[in-house]
Amino acid sequence: MLTFVGLGLYDERSVTVAGRDAIRDADRVFAEFYTSRLIGTDIETLEDTLETSIELRDRAGIERDPEPILEAAESEDVVFCTAGDTMVSTTHTDLRLRAADRGIETRIVHGTTAQTAAGSLTGLQNYRFGKATTLPFEDAHGGDGVPDSVVATIEGNRGRDLHTLVYLDIKVDDPHWDESDDTYMTASQAAAMLSEPFPDTLGVVVARAGSPDPLVVADTLDELATQTFGDPLHLLVIPGSLHPLEADALESVAGADLE
Amino acid sequence: MGRRKKIVQECETLMDDPEHIRNIAIAAHVDHGKTTLTDNLLAGAGMISDDTAGEQLAMDTEEDEQERGITIDAANVSMTHEYEDQNHLINLIDTPGHVDFGGDVTRAMRAVDGALVVVDAVEGAMPQTETVLRQALREGVKPTLFINKVDRLISELQEGPEEMQKRLLAVIQDVNDLIRGMTEEMDDIEDWTVSVEEGTVGFGSALYKWGVSMPSMQRTGMDFGEIMELERNDNRQELHERTPLSDVVLDMVCEHFPNPVDAQPMRVPRIWRGDAESQLADDMRLVNEDGEVVLMVTDIGVDPHAGEIAAGRVFSGTLEKGQELYVSGTAGKNRIQSVGIYMGGEREEVDRVPAGNIAAVTGLKDAIAGSTVSSEEMTPFESIEHISEPVITKSVEAQNMDDLPKLIETLQQVAKEDPTIQVEINEDTGEHLISGQGELHLEVIGQRIERNQGIPINTGEPIVVYREAPQEDSREVEGRSPNNHNRFYISIEPLGEDIVETIKMGEASMDMPELERREALQEAGMDKDDSQNIEHIHGTNILLDETKGIQHLNETMELVIEGLEEALDDGPLASEPVQGSLIRLHDARLHEDAIHRGPAQVIPAVREAVHNSLIDASIKLLEPIQQVRIDVPNDHMGAASGEIQGRRGRVDDMYQEGDLMVVEGVAPVDEMIGFSSDIRSATEGRASWNTENAGFQVLADNLQPDKISEIRERKGMKQELNPAIDYF
Repeated sequence: MLTFVGLGLYDERSVTVAGRDAIRDADRVFAEFYTSRLIGTDIETLEDTLETSIELRDRAGIERDPEPILEAAESEDVVFCTAGDTMVSTTHTDLRLRAADRGIETRIVHGTTAQTAAGSLTGLQNYRFGKATTLPFEDAHGGDGVPDSVVATIEGNRGRDLHTLVYLDIKVDDPHWDESDDTYMTASQAAAMLSEPFPDTLGVVVARAGSPDPLVVADTLDELATQTFGDPLHLLVIPGSLHPLEADALESVAGADLE
Repeated sequence: MGRRKKIVQECETLMDDPEHIRNIAIAAHVDHGKTTLTDNLLAGAGMISDDTAGEQLAMDTEEDEQERGITIDAANVSMTHEYEDQNHLINLIDTPGHVDFGGDVTRAMRAVDGALVVVDAVEGAMPQTETVLRQALREGVKPTLFINKVDRLISELQEGPEEMQKRLLAVIQDVNDLIRGMTEEMDDIEDWTVSVEEGTVGFGSALYKWGVSMPSMQRTGMDFGEIMELERNDNRQELHERTPLSDVVLDMVCEHFPNPVDAQPMRVPRIWRGDAESQLADDMRLVNEDGEVVLMVTDIGVDPHAGEIAAGRVFSGTLEKGQELYVSGTAGKNRIQSVGIYMGGEREEVDRVPAGNIAAVTGLKDAIAGSTVSSEEMTPFESIEHISEPVITKSVEAQNMDDLPKLIETLQQVAKEDPTIQVEINEDTGEHLISGQGELHLEVIGQRIERNQGIPINTGEPIVVYREAPQEDSREVEGRSPNNHNRFYISIEPLGEDIVETIKMGEASMDMPELERREALQEAGMDKDDSQNIEHIHGTNILLDETKGIQHLNETMELVIEGLEEALDDGPLASEPVQGSLIRLHDARLHEDAIHRGPAQVIPAVREAVHNSLIDASIKLLEPIQQVRIDVPNDHMGAASGEIQGRRGRVDDMYQEGDLMVVEGVAPVDEMIGFSSDIRSATEGRASWNTENAGFQVLADNLQPDKISEIRERKGMKQELNPAIDYF
């Protein structure tokens, strides 16, 4: 049996009770933290709290060589966990399909994810989000600046009056990335990059979702680019047109000045 | 005022008068006497003593050159010559004739408008003669001919007038056949064959410093009989005084070589693909000294005091100290610290060098041999074409660890000066690799590092450079990214030989306008649709994008190319470079989000697809081969041809030439290591020989597995091949 457990957004206490039980009961627990991280904790604390020991896999150990995980899951109860939800932005469908191919039973224990936090913290309605996109570091995608596809995604959503959730790049365990460069893209960096194709455009920053002190700030992208929002992780929402209730929410929780 | 100073002043006066400037190169087969001839010209111009010309070898400035008695680098010099009551400025480049140094010759040709081809009267036109002629004509450089060592026909071989005439005419005929063959398809060149009547052929002896041509005989009233008489009676000094070689040759240079004003309108379209209607094009065609500055760098040298010196041809504008100029292929500008001209190996600083001249410049720290340097950003000149690719590699390491940083710096400098050298720096192991044209080429580089830089080094055994190439058409192969979200569908087939040749010669590249590239490739036999789909050219491999309307592929193409280049640089058999493959990208499936189709995903996916297609196309190892020509007395002929056959070689032809037998054939470079000493002992030192790199050919099937495993072991790769390689 292979159980996929989402650990949630922030620290060792973000996991659901069902998730915690699955981890406690498992014979072996694997995890990866290259797609995202639990910023408020570390592996040791996680292991202590969840009363388990975790085998960490790097990118190659999931994508190139998933064999140890699959082999273990053939005979034992194995948990594979990630930050957030294992199947949303982290896209581990491939691993589930490989397990299914070998006749291994799989199940999923959900975790809270940036996708839901973006709606719930900002008051922007979940029903009005369009395609999400990730904004990569400037030279991390084979081109320069903002990739056309990111601009096209935001434009497409705005054209249909929809909000865009913009994930911000994380560089962990990437051989093509110089260690000395930034690890986490900040919302100010992202706002600066996007303010060029989108001048005078409203953006909403969500910082440290899932932590005890999340921060939500709404302003024009140019303005956001001049501010700092503290520790990671950050994400950015580019709203489409606002429903009156959404506007009220942004004014109330995010200090927006929409006049 | 010293003589030298006076010449510099004369040169400076003439620099502004392009109609009386001639930029020329002297080129020949090794040992046919270029450098001795050059010394004659210098002595004639009063720049070295008349007595030492012929022995001094002023142009062979490096110690090792004087030791070996051959020219290794191209050297520059300016001189003046009075012809028909008009003083002329002659900028001259002497070039090496040894095959290992061919890159220098090609670069020199870019800077000049005329090439004086020197041929030994006894040996006649030799393989390198053909090569230098081809290099000259491809650059649009006009040839004239000087037949050297005529004294040997008279005094040594005791030939009579008729015999001698026959021999000289045969040499001229051979050279003209070569010229005709090479210019047949060049529309911009009419008839560049040489002839005695027109005065484009000279004869003489560089060693004894006399020369004649039809115009000189008319002027001096000396006929051939008289010359033979004087030569035979050892009256060579009188011969030199009555008909000095330098006058004959320099007159020929002034009369028959085009000046920059005549040459540049024809040469610029040949070597520059920028907008022909632009002001810049006009400036270059008209040699406008007030136009934008355009300098084509053909040589980088190092002066112990001044540092790095870039030499090249000024095509437009005027070079002056303090100018801030763009260097092609690099960002930002370089500031010129000094400008000068060459006077026999030494640089003389001057205030300015205007269009039409060859200049020596310091301060261009980003320039390499082949850079275009200009005052406004411009399309660079066509890359200077190297006819030969590196075939031999040697490892180099510093004997003392302390020298390591200096060695790395020196190696990088070496690569900058000589683009036919490839340098691979490995800071982890300290064992660096240099690749070049032959054993001698690398030996000389090694000695220069030790002698000039004072760095004691250890060099490894010479290692032959191999290639890998597909042998048949592959099926369509899928490559998947590690996360499985990105998939590429690729097939590979061997490229036609003509197409490979077209790319090698630089006649089709990604730098040129699309339309021209298409035409060149179609002419070489590429399908019209294929030529329109070209996305990238890497080495002699072409990537075609045959996909239609795949979202995000544009954004991902750079990563696809990166993966492709990685796969081609390190082939699947033994990590040797892949050549001659046509890669078709048929289809691709990409993840919606840029982050899930980043470098870590796309590069391995493409790499895998390319390698698997190459394997499906039965990729094989290729080895470099050389053409070998041996001139040997009849009774040693068997031993000589045995030396070729015993080296997995093939003898193609054996024929009599004069009193010698000529053996011609081909043999693998791998087996030719150590040939010099073997042939010497096999023929008791009676053979003279010449080798020329002749490209790559598929290694025999039965040798493939062992050679592959040998290379893999040397490179520290694991021995197991990809299991799909099951055809050996």
